[in-house]
Amino acid sequence: MTTAITPPEFDAALITRYDVAGPRYTSYPTAPHFAAEFDETALRGVIRTSNEEPIPRPLSLYVHVPFCTSPCFYCGCNRIITRDATQADRYLERLYREIELIAPLFDRDRPVYQLHFGGGTPNFLNLSQMGELLESLARHFSFSHVTDREYGIEIDPRFADAAYIQGLGELGFNRISVGIQDFDPAVQQAVNRIQSFEQTREVLDAARSSGFRSASVDLIYGLPLQTVEGFSRTLDQVVTLDPDRVAVYGYAHMPEMFKAQRQIAAADMPDPATRLALFGCALAQLSAAGYVYVGMDHFAKASDELVQAQRAGTLQRNFQGYSTHGDCDIVGLGVSAIGRVGDSYSQNARDLIGYYAALDAGHLPVARGLELDEDDLIRRELIGELMCHGVVDKQHFGARHRLLFDEYFVRGRQRLVPLIKDGLVLEDARKIRVTSRGRLLLRIIAMCFDAYLDDAARATRYSRVI
Amino acid sequence: MQAKHPAGRLPEPLNPIADDGDETHFCGTCAFSSACIAAGYDKPELAELQCLVEHVGPFRAGEHIFRTGDPFRAIFAVRGGTVKTRMVDKEGREQVLGFYLPGEVIGLNAIYPEHFPCDAVALDTSFFCRFSFPAMSALASRVPAVQSHLFRMLSKELGSASLLAGDHSADERVAAFLMDLAGRYAVRGFSATRFHLSMSRGDIANYLRLAAETVSRVLSRFRAQQLIRIEGRELELLEPAKLHQIGQALLPD
Repeated sequence: MTTAITPPEFDAALITRYDVAGPRYTSYPTAPHFAAEFDETALRGVIRTSNEEPIPRPLSLYVHVPFCTSPCFYCGCNRIITRDATQADRYLERLYREIELIAPLFDRDRPVYQLHFGGGTPNFLNLSQMGELLESLARHFSFSHVTDREYGIEIDPRFADAAYIQGLGELGFNRISVGIQDFDPAVQQAVNRIQSFEQTREVLDAARSSGFRSASVDLIYGLPLQTVEGFSRTLDQVVTLDPDRVAVYGYAHMPEMFKAQRQIAAADMPDPATRLALFGCALAQLSAAGYVYVGMDHFAKASDELVQAQRAGTLQRNFQGYSTHGDCDIVGLGVSAIGRVGDSYSQNARDLIGYYAALDAGHLPVARGLELDEDDLIRRELIGELMCHGVVDKQHFGARHRLLFDEYFVRGRQRLVPLIKDGLVLEDARKIRVTSRGRLLLRIIAMCFDAYLDDAARATRYSRVI
Repeated sequence: MQAKHPAGRLPEPLNPIADDGDETHFCGTCAFSSACIAAGYDKPELAELQCLVEHVGPFRAGEHIFRTGDPFRAIFAVRGGTVKTRMVDKEGREQVLGFYLPGEVIGLNAIYPEHFPCDAVALDTSFFCRFSFPAMSALASRVPAVQSHLFRMLSKELGSASLLAGDHSADERVAAFLMDLAGRYAVRGFSATRFHLSMSRGDIANYLRLAAETVSRVLSRFRAQQLIRIEGRELELLEPAKLHQIGQALLPD
């Protein structure tokens, strides 16, 4: 299936009307539905089953490094603020133990195609720690030697110089993701993240000269004191950095859930109209600079493989957003890391105490998870199709899953009716298609088919859709 | 959480099940129906002959239908699910002897020794018709068609080891294995090009006397050559003729 990618249509009034909280569907069912009943025995069972497929899936490793030297006030990630470098050694000791415990459960003929370091701040680890960690991974897993293997890492440019990036390149990293958020000094001060354009450029230049094949940057709109003018300047600067991909996330202000966010003065928050204008500004400037809106916060150059995969109909959703390696089983390593093996999700203990305690007792540190049932699998695929390609062929989908689409999704299609009236979605006998007006509201469309959302749950728990 | 929607599911399950019979009618895939009906014995007549067929199951994946050494009293026809038969040697090494699909009969190799010479293990949720063997023998002595059907099944069972005989490449063995399954599904009226592989790659490898990695490597190659499409355990044969050609040395003409 090939899809024409229509650029999204930015209609402020429409988006405002649909501005409700919603999940980002980096997984379905979403993480709040993971349960403690999914324990170590369950995880070992799903891994065993995954080894027994006729062609077991290749592996993708996610490694979580939870430490940050200083708190960015907007952050809702699982991280630990410390300047104590020995914390990393204590953490790595446990991480090695986890690798030793989990790696042998996967058959050795399953190659690792993809490796991703996230955080926290992965560059909290120095180069020798990083080298040792990669060595441990390579010793216990079967690393693929294919040339299109992907080793990605998230970098905070405030704590990385050219030599560090070059060292990562020598270790085999070939994809870099750099946090920027906004270059506006007032905003940087308000969120406690002072980062110059030059620092950022140094890191990206070093990545290119060290053999990194792909660079992406993260921006955030909706931050305190953010203005359209300031953000527009940031976008101009970002374009001169020439990243392959740009992620533009909406800031979710939920101070009751995330302690760091209480440092942000409510009075400094942009109003909903400004927030929307900020995103509109990103959309306009990035499009003008030749970036394609892939969907859900993500932009990429037309030549980027994400865009190619979207055109070819092979794009998939994963925890980092979109992926061209959706056919891998994901092994989550480190505190709070989420894995996806076979038809299951699992998450490690979310605090260091629990994570350390499990490993010190010789157990896998899985704390919760979920085995997807048939309905979950069907809906996951449907939501994935809508978010990745914006179109579902109801007959093909029905034939693939042996169901009558219109009857099986009777509730979902009812929920779709007002969205069809508003022109976000088209539905005929054969297809459901997201229109250019609907492309910025993918979450809203996907939510129609989420069996776990009751009307009360729709209002809370998740960040705003735009 | 709202109620999920069972409505709209099509009745055809992922795994074929041969379970359309009732008190008076045989299941469509019954191993004995054609023999009995041809001889003028429908189910009520059989009931009068006290050849009662007992429905047993479900057995869950990993459960034994019978074990090596159990006294032989009955044969089992698979109604739904898949079964492997295997022997375990003194060192605990397993040898997979065969796989049985809906409509096929297990236990025939126990007739002479009068105890089961192997284990039968369900690979997924499985259901059976249990035919008491003494009653069966009595019926066979009265109904020649049943007797000859029994002989036919026995000789088929004896010939089924041919997939493993001789010195053949991994490609030949795997292709022949897939085509053999396809043919057996087709005989029972199921799709011969799209089916679910209930057996693990370890079991397939063991059965074909190959390493598990080799089975996966061959399947990956077939996939790259677009001979098959495979998603998890769902298999589609895109080029059955070519696969047949690859495996022909091991397949009946």
